[in-house]
Parts: sequence; structure tokens; C-alpha cells
Amino acid sequence: MASADSRPADTADPRRRSFRFLLSPPAVVLALFLILPVLLMVVVSFRPDLSGNLLGAFAPTLKQYQQAFAGAGYWRSLGISALTALGVAAIATTLAYPIAYFLAFRAGKRAALYLILLLVPFWTSYLLRVMAWKVMLGEGGVINSVLLWSGAISQPLDALLYNRGAVIVTLVYVWIPFAALPILAGLGRIDIRLHDAAADLYASPWQQLRRVTLPLSLPGVVAAFFMVFIPTVGEYVTPLLVGGTGGSMYGNIIQDFFTRAANWPLGSALSVIMLSATLGLVVVGLRIVDPRRLLAR
Amino acid sequence: MRPSRTMTGRVAVALATLALVAAACGAAGTSPTATSQPTLGPTEIPTLAPTDVPPDQVTGTLSVLDWTGYDAEWAWQDFKNTYKNAKVTFAFGDSDAEQYGQMKAGGTFDVFHPYTGWLQFYVDEGLAAEIDTTKLKNWDKVPDSFKKIGQINGKQYFVPWDWGFTSILYRTDKITTPVDSWSILFDPKYKGHLSMWDDGPGAVTVSSYVHGYNETAITADQLASIKAEWTAQATLNKAYWTAETDLVQMMSSGEAWAAYAWQGAYATLLGKGVPVAYATPKEGRNSWVGVYGIRKDSPNYDLALKFLDAKLGLLTGQNLVANYYYGSANGDVMKGITDPTLKQAFSVDDPSILTKTNFTPNLTAAQRDAWTAMWTEVKASQ
Repeated sequence: MASADSRPADTADPRRRSFRFLLSPPAVVLALFLILPVLLMVVVSFRPDLSGNLLGAFAPTLKQYQQAFAGAGYWRSLGISALTALGVAAIATTLAYPIAYFLAFRAGKRAALYLILLLVPFWTSYLLRVMAWKVMLGEGGVINSVLLWSGAISQPLDALLYNRGAVIVTLVYVWIPFAALPILAGLGRIDIRLHDAAADLYASPWQQLRRVTLPLSLPGVVAAFFMVFIPTVGEYVTPLLVGGTGGSMYGNIIQDFFTRAANWPLGSALSVIMLSATLGLVVVGLRIVDPRRLLAR
Repeated sequence: MRPSRTMTGRVAVALATLALVAAACGAAGTSPTATSQPTLGPTEIPTLAPTDVPPDQVTGTLSVLDWTGYDAEWAWQDFKNTYKNAKVTFAFGDSDAEQYGQMKAGGTFDVFHPYTGWLQFYVDEGLAAEIDTTKLKNWDKVPDSFKKIGQINGKQYFVPWDWGFTSILYRTDKITTPVDSWSILFDPKYKGHLSMWDDGPGAVTVSSYVHGYNETAITADQLASIKAEWTAQATLNKAYWTAETDLVQMMSSGEAWAAYAWQGAYATLLGKGVPVAYATPKEGRNSWVGVYGIRKDSPNYDLALKFLDAKLGLLTGQNLVANYYYGSANGDVMKGITDPTLKQAFSVDDPSILTKTNFTPNLTAAQRDAWTAMWTEVKASQ
């Protein structure tokens, strides 16, 4: 790179140029498939209805937002979805931490093998894994059959499936391996000699975890938490399959307006509201855990 | 060596990420498909569709927007057998709203497959071409009552193809008194064992039957009371079903005892030996009809007509009855049913059944939006 050093550093910096060059494909993909659809969604949310040319001009209206804000059920559902996502993210992150810890510090040479084993369920379809919980929790399912057989109950429990509890159990199960990955990445960056140093200073294993490992792995934990929280707010497949009448979430409402009601404008308005609310919660969450402190390590 | 261990960790994370992406890609491509085989009899000759060109010389590619499962060859067997050199490609939308959305978004399908209740929108939005029925050889086999369903503003825009009943399906071992009314869906006696279809217009239909409302002219007050009624019903409802397979599973496991159901589920459960009955409610059964339309400005209009005509063919109709337990719009197919289970499911031996049946009316866009919003609010309030 000797010749590169001799060039002027401002506009023709080859490192910067190659950076831009490498960045352009993902930037184009993001612009086309993420930013443009979101903008379209915002535009559609101001349509009065779906009639006429979809890409043609229309008189913008706040009608959809008025309807979305007026429906008390929508707000309630958004609140419940956010709380569900909070619970699922907290439980999944907590349960994923020991797994990631084991893989990072205890699994040794077999870490890669164990990691692959952890991810084996992902080799089958997501739907299939959710359906498997129907088999587990149903009235004639595995849990009920075992309890009936053991004599612990005389009638099958019908409270296991088709409620919010079933949704939370299934989502936690689905997310644990996902949540383990960023935590593992966070733990992987920790210099293991710090543990030796802590031990030399008479720190107990618990103190090592609390004072050294946990703080240093927090960026990974926060990343895992939000990686679970954000998509779970808008989740709709799992509630549809195991949630029953009382387990539906905000994502189901949005899905209904698109796939069952052909009311894209109202569905878009609800999506914009959910997107804003989720972003707002993430911003507040990041303020509370203070990312500067985490990133300053 | 510690550094190498860190490297191992990174490689492992990278591997795992790759595995996840691969798994996600695999999952995205999965979709249920029909596995049933066509019931081709040795003496059955496919019905020829009208054409000036010999069928073998008909070429071209037809693009069909349909429901998953109807891409199976049995569902267009006559066309396949007759026009060996024409190609058919399928795209899917698994609800009326989804298909309508795809058509609205500029989908260039030649043929599409909506159901009663949704036909008016296609005509209003200029998405459907008028059907030249003089070119359909099988047209005279379609009963007039079905032909009328495909007429909008006095013109034939759609060709009816599949139909079925909606009524109350119930487990006779759990509910021992015969069910004679739609109002069982609101009966607290069966709390936690009822299942309603996840659909706003469906809910409005049931309430209209129970209270004697005019389904085509529901007032705002009536809609408010319908909303209150279903909000209360939600505490009795086990789960709303979306796909017929979900309903079949809930009925056979005994989780649901009584449900809003299409007769496909009834026939499937009868076939499985589950003790079920299909009510003839005093308010009348409901009936839905599936139709095929041709997109306005389709460059393959003639080929599309041939496809629609072949859809009405005898073999295709028989396959529909045998595989999905749905009725065919071809009257000859229905007259030829001999299977006692199917005869029972279609009430073939009850000549008065159709007079006791309410066909799903066409909705206006305002009704559709209001009814579906009502239903969403019902679900959101749980």
C-alpha cells in the first residue's frame, strides 16, 4: 500500500473509497428493501381507502390515525404486546446467558459442536417448531398424557394451550438460541486472563461473575435483549397458532388488516404507530442502560 | 492458547450465524401442498373446450392466482389432459384479502379465484373482464342459481367453480341434544369448547341469522350490538380458527365441541371416525361459492376462457369432490355422487336444503372495512 500513502488524503483516500465501495451494495439493498417499503407504508397510511390506483395521487387524510387512536382495544393490545415482548426478552436473555457462558468458557474445544447442536432446531421450519408446542401443551398432548398416566390429574388440563402463557413459553423457546449468540460474542471478547487476575485478588467465582464477566458482557446482553424484544412486539405467527382467543397480539391486528380485511391504509397506520412505539421504547431502554458506559470499555 | 480459543469462538459464532441463515431460507420456502392423487377413471374422457385450433396446437402460458392446493394437477386435470402444449403457472394468496391485494397492486395474473362476498370489488376497481359464456362448452351444466352468483351489474364476470356449506359442526358425544340454531356459539354452557372462524363478515353473518337482521343492510346500531355480542362470546371461545386443518385438529382432539365450520371439515372428521354432526339450523345454513375471473386486459383471454371451461369439466369436478369434499358447479358431478359420506355432507338427498340456505351476499368496500375493523376490535379487547 506504499503508493496509496503518497496520494492526497482528503477525497481520494483509497481506504475511504474502498469502504464506500464495499458499503454501497448493502446500502442499496437496505434502501430498496427496507427504507423504501417503510416510506411506502407511511404514504399508504395517509390514504383514505384502497380504491383507485395504488401508486396514483390521492387526497391525504388522517382518518386512519383517528380510527387507530380511537380504538381503545388497539392501545390495550399494543401495551400487552410490549409487556409480553419485555417478559419474553428478559426470560430468553436470562436463560441464554448460562448457555453462552458455558460455550465461551467451559466447552473448550467442543464449543463449535455444542453451538451447532444448540442450533439444530433451526434446521426445521419455524412453523413446525411452534406446532410441536401444540403437541406438547394440547389436551391430548405430551404433558397432559404424562400427568394423567402418573395419576397427578384426573382430567386433562385445558389451561396449558390457547392462552398468553402458551405464547410466552413458545416464544422463549424459539428465542433462546438467538439470544445466546450476541451474548456469546460479548463473552468471547473477554480476555480470560482477567478471571485469573480476579482470582489472584481473592475474588470468589460469584464475585468474578458479578464484578468482571457480567459487566464486560453487558453489550452482548443488551444486544440479545433488544434482538428478542423488537421482533416480539410485532409477533403474529406464534399467537395465531398457540394463543387462542385471549392470546392475540398487536401483530395479529396488523396482519388482519392486510391479509383478511384488505384495509392496507389502517394496517399501515397501526404499523407506523407500532414502529414509533417500539423505537421509543428502545431509545428509553438504551438511555436507562447507558450505552456510552457499555461502549467505552 | 487463549487467542486461538477466541478465534475458535468467533468462527463458531460465524458458523452458527450461517446455519441460522440457511435454516431461515429453508423455512421460508416451506408451504403446505396437496398430496391427494387424482381419481382418474379408465373410462372417463376429458371434456373438450371450444376451440378452432386443435387442442394439441394450443400453446401459451397462463398465469393463475389461486389458493394453495389448487395448483395440484387434479384441480385442473381436464385442461392438462386436453391442452398438452399449454403451460400453467400458479401464484398464491391464501385469503380473499391477500388475493385482492395482489391484484390491486398490479399483479398481471390472467386468472384469479375469489369467493362470494368479494366479487363486487374486482368489478368496481376494473380488475375483471366480462366472460364470453358462448365459448364455454360446459356452461349449460352449471345451474342457473350458480350462474347468477357470478353476475355483477347484470353482466357475467365470473365462472362459479367450487361451493360448500357453512353451518355448526359439533361433537355428538359431548353435545347430546341436537343443535338446531347458530346461537349455540353464544351458549355459556359450552364455555371453552366453542370455536368461531376468524372472520369479521362471518361474525356479522352469524349474528344476522340469529337476530334476523338484513345482512346486506346492517345499521351502525346493529353493528355495535354485534360487536358487543362477539366481545362477550370471546370469553366462551376456545380459539378462532383460520385454516380448516386447525379446526379439524381442535374438533378431533376434543378441545372444541361446537364450531362455525365448512362442510369440508365435517367430511374430513366423518372420514376419521370422529363422532360429529352438521347442523341444519332453523335460521338456515350459509353457503359460499368460489368463482374464477379473468383479469381485464389480460393478453391471454382466449386461453383463460379455455382454462375456465376445462375447470368445469367432469373429471376436474369429480376430483374436487373427492379430494376436498367441496361441491362442483357442474351439476352432473353432483348428481353422480355415490359415496354415502359425501351425500350426507352435501345433503344431496334433502331436496329442500338449498331453499334453507343463505348464500353469502356481496359486500361493499365500506361494509368490508367496517365489519373487519369491528372484528379486529373484538379480538384486540381480549
